[in-house]
Amino acid sequence: MATDDVATDHVATDHVATDHVATDHRPDELGLHHISVRFGGLTALDDVSLRVAPGRIVGVIGPNGAGKTTLFNIVSGFVTPSEGSLTLGGRPWRPRPHHLNRLGIARTLQGVGQFNGMTVLENVMVGVRGRHAESEAWTALERCGVTRFAGDRPGALPYAVRKRVELARALAARPRILMLDEPAGGLDADEIRWLAGLIKDVGITVLLVEHHMDLVMSVCDEILVLDFGKPIALGTPAEISADPRVTEAYLGTAA
Amino acid sequence: MTRPSVRESRDAASDVPRGERPRSLRRLAPPAMILAGALVIVGLSFLLPPFRNYQLATVGAYFCVTGGLTVLTGLNGQLSLGHGALMATGAYTFALAQNRWLSLPVSLVAAIVVTTVAGLVIGLAAARLRGPYLAGLTLAVAVVVPSVTSTFDEIFNSDQGLSVALDPPPGTIPVEQWQAWLCWAGALLSTSLLAVLVRGRFGRDLRAVRDDETAARLAGVDVARTQVAAFVVSAACAGLSGALFAVLAQSVSPGAFPLTLSLFLLMAIVIGGLGSLAGALGGAFLLVALPTLAQAVAEGTGSPRLEGNLALVIFGVVLVVVMLAAPGGLASIRFRRRRTS
Repeated sequence: MATDDVATDHVATDHVATDHVATDHRPDELGLHHISVRFGGLTALDDVSLRVAPGRIVGVIGPNGAGKTTLFNIVSGFVTPSEGSLTLGGRPWRPRPHHLNRLGIARTLQGVGQFNGMTVLENVMVGVRGRHAESEAWTALERCGVTRFAGDRPGALPYAVRKRVELARALAARPRILMLDEPAGGLDADEIRWLAGLIKDVGITVLLVEHHMDLVMSVCDEILVLDFGKPIALGTPAEISADPRVTEAYLGTAA
Repeated sequence: MTRPSVRESRDAASDVPRGERPRSLRRLAPPAMILAGALVIVGLSFLLPPFRNYQLATVGAYFCVTGGLTVLTGLNGQLSLGHGALMATGAYTFALAQNRWLSLPVSLVAAIVVTTVAGLVIGLAAARLRGPYLAGLTLAVAVVVPSVTSTFDEIFNSDQGLSVALDPPPGTIPVEQWQAWLCWAGALLSTSLLAVLVRGRFGRDLRAVRDDETAARLAGVDVARTQVAAFVVSAACAGLSGALFAVLAQSVSPGAFPLTLSLFLLMAIVIGGLGSLAGALGGAFLLVALPTLAQAVAEGTGSPRLEGNLALVIFGVVLVVVMLAAPGGLASIRFRRRRTS
């Protein structure tokens, strides 16, 4: 049996139940074990291990080219690791992009990955399986404060609204694990404050890749720092901000 | 704290467009559309002379294939230059089945099934290709299929083609009127099914894949399966269309399905409005009207040599003019007018 089948077998398929916390048996714990990724002669990730515990908010930071998005692509199934393995809910797991939604994992993209030929409501409905797609989409739009744009095409909307729409699509499927890839990019201070509130209140496991340090430090329970694909620090925001290796990685000088 | 209901939150958003019809009305739309369309066609068929009825029937037959191509190219973003070949597959299957069993329903079903299987095979290959490579694959299909008739001439009778045995129309109904009813029954049924399909989850998946494959995957859409499904649905429509053309001509030959037919079909859905079934209807109408117009112009100038090429020229000019005036095609003009009124 394929390893991804092992992971999907125990997943409840009806994830549109209203009281999803009580009935949802989808896993919300993610593990990366000694992951390495090489593209030809370039090592994008080198022996990275990380456990994202249920309900925790874990940030992944590092300078440009550190391998943050590659790490997300590993978990999303877009990139296969050269070495190492992944677990979901404690079981071996080989991710495939279009299975993530069913497994309760939602991911946003850098920038805005949207369907410009559809209305905002339809964009969000794409992320929801089942008969209640429309009501779940409205609920997600409401949560992200963009119901009034439901009938508009995303391409015509301000960037901040489009980011919210993408978040709404991710949340509409009621995920147990939310992966946010630079969600604060291009947003102003008010929008970032709103985003921080949402991440804190969402109540599910969150994996966050972000350059905006204030956001990362204010919302994360734990932070992994990557530099040239290597994990150089893992700890609480206070520990990370006091770590001289992190300062060196970002500023290029010893603290 | 209690969360406002979906309806309350919708009402609170005062500027949410209210263009959506209630769900009950949306469910009724396809049967109502079939009924209204059937009444119009039956009424028209009693008013029109035989040749116009034949043209009406031809529009119906084209509407089947342009509807399917709209789903594939307009909604799913897969370019096909081989739909003429799929029509030929349907037409030849219909002819062989009809000559063997002389049963119109059986032959129509056989044509749809065989073309659907052909579409599945092409779709499986097409799902791995993008852009010019996909166009190249479908172009190869358009070139290869007619040559098959020469290779297996014992079955397909080479360039001469096959004549199609058909029962006479029931009662005293004129042949052309019967053909119009038959072709439009096929067109209305197939496009109503397409309308139902594209309104739901399948339609959203099609458009999601067209707009952003990565985001679609992350939203749970199986991109390859959606692309193959689009090809299968589109091929089934092309097969039905081919069979109806065999009914109209009462014969099939490779010359009836040249490469230019595939190009005409593509131009028709672009002019009509890519991604819109109303646009597919407009395109089907143009496919019949423009050659007629070209013929009239050629006869007016007294140049029979002009007649063969003028249709392509007129199609090209119309394509350029429509793209300049309304890049969304004729259907978008209708839509814009409705929104501004």
